[in-house]
Amino acid sequence: MDPASIQITAEPIDGSRCKFVVSQPVHAAGVRRFASAAEAEGSPLAAAIFAIPGAEVGEVIVSGNLVTVVKRGVTPWTAVGKSVGQAIRAALASGAPPLAPKAEAPVATADDDALYEQVAQLFDEQVNPMVARHGGRVELIDVQDAVVMLRMMGGCQGCGMADVTLRQGIEAMLQQHVPAVKGIVDITDHTAGTNPYFAAAKK
Amino acid sequence: MLLPTTTYRTAAFVEAARRLGVELTVASERPSTFEGAQPAALLTLDLAAPERAAEQAAAFARRHPVAGVVGVDDDTAVVAAAIAGRLGLTGNPVAAALAARDKHLQRLELVRHGVPVPRFELHTLGEDVTEFAARLRYPCVLKPLRLSASRGVIRADDPAGFRAALQRLGRILEQPDVAGCGDWASRVLVEDFIPGPEVALEGLVVAGQLQMLALFDKPDPLDGPFFEETIYTTPSRLPDRAQAALGACARDAVAALGLREGPVHAELRWNERGPWLIELAARSVGGRCSAALRFEAGETSLEELIIRHALGMPLPSLEREHQASGVMMIPVPGAGVLREVRGLATARAVPLIEDVVITAHPGQTLLPWPEGWRYPGFIFARGETPEAVEAALRTAQRRLGFVIE
Repeated sequence: MDPASIQITAEPIDGSRCKFVVSQPVHAAGVRRFASAAEAEGSPLAAAIFAIPGAEVGEVIVSGNLVTVVKRGVTPWTAVGKSVGQAIRAALASGAPPLAPKAEAPVATADDDALYEQVAQLFDEQVNPMVARHGGRVELIDVQDAVVMLRMMGGCQGCGMADVTLRQGIEAMLQQHVPAVKGIVDITDHTAGTNPYFAAAKK
Repeated sequence: MLLPTTTYRTAAFVEAARRLGVELTVASERPSTFEGAQPAALLTLDLAAPERAAEQAAAFARRHPVAGVVGVDDDTAVVAAAIAGRLGLTGNPVAAALAARDKHLQRLELVRHGVPVPRFELHTLGEDVTEFAARLRYPCVLKPLRLSASRGVIRADDPAGFRAALQRLGRILEQPDVAGCGDWASRVLVEDFIPGPEVALEGLVVAGQLQMLALFDKPDPLDGPFFEETIYTTPSRLPDRAQAALGACARDAVAALGLREGPVHAELRWNERGPWLIELAARSVGGRCSAALRFEAGETSLEELIIRHALGMPLPSLEREHQASGVMMIPVPGAGVLREVRGLATARAVPLIEDVVITAHPGQTLLPWPEGWRYPGFIFARGETPEAVEAALRTAQRRLGFVIE
């Protein structure tokens, strides 16, 4: 595959998190989260991102055509983003699987499985009925190391108030009802939302 | 945090509060679907009625103590002032915030205090303007009293152009989202066109003293007939003498309006006669533009400064980062429904470009100025010089293609 044919757009969420939207699927089977370089061993794409000098990458999350990178370093996404793009292109162009198959469930995953059930129940019974009033839906993608990965859809996707829904609504409810959850990661491609409930205008 | 549901500012302010570890309540004019479940985190206020909103906020504060209040746009700046007054929090007097929001009130106060502003007159839609148009000094600029983002601002060069501009502005003020907003929507400010480069000054008022945070050049001439903004770059390339005079003019304007606390965003012009105050708002820069500003060696955002100030937290250095920085509000490429944006990856690959953010969504109707007021997106760049930043912004914009039907 010609690496030049792979289009990647970076969408920084903030100074430490950035989403990379790839023009082709990277990992079709659910979500993979790597919390360290050691965990990324055997997964060329994630390992290459952890190896970017100066970025101090702390986390890589891959789902569908999205690669979310969390860094601790102060190097701006301008510099780091290009290296991430190169790593993704090289991994996909090599023809080898970019990610190793998910390892057999270690003991810790049992906790994640239990959390997944609790979070799924909360989403089904409380969160989704609430966002449905604005034509939205929140999909629980996975729970890994007590971090919830979710995707916002319908009226929530691209909504001007999506961050408020995420932080003041969903995250707050998780803290109350499932306090073992350590954090949430929104893997939504908000730029692709076609019917956001609230659209922004310059003020 | 007073966040109207249509603001671009949500993500930046929510993230700033998170970074500071601040317990945040978001108040909007329409209820969040989570408000019942999270009554301390979410609140609905009548943002169109500041005194009523202050009553609602006071009732809320009896259950959930409030330590500070921040408005993010022209309207919520007034609401924030009313709430601050009611709860005894850091903020502006309501009268000062009102004067900053209304272009006519603002000019009256500025003239009264000797701040240089364009000569102006107030007129009402529907009045016979034949005689008035004949005696006007041209070119002139017609402005609605409160719309933001230069929506409805039109230059006229002669009586025929004036009558056409007034009709066009009248149609904008009859739009459903405007017409019901109050008496101001039936009035028009007519003022002299001031030639010369325009700048935007970003500042923070602390105990009545304006601290200048940044002065942005606007390298694309804003000569009309419409006034859609494009590029901001900082530091300014104007001579030091001009920058000092512009800063002093903004300081005088802040004092004249009676603003005491919080962010200000001012538009000024500079020519052989000196500085001119065009607008001053009691809020920070709009859109996503604040991402062009970083302080304390790049560690602190503008929103963090604003929240810190509102809460009385110690302020870090207000010195902007060393690098030059800039933002382009991407011009609306034409009227129609946006289907697709092409060239994002190549635009982002331009050296010095930090990000290209498309805020318009597929299916959104794009409307050019003066009827329009929404940019399809923003481009950000940083570099050693403002010249290099400006060139990068223009190159990136040329690589974008908007598919509109």
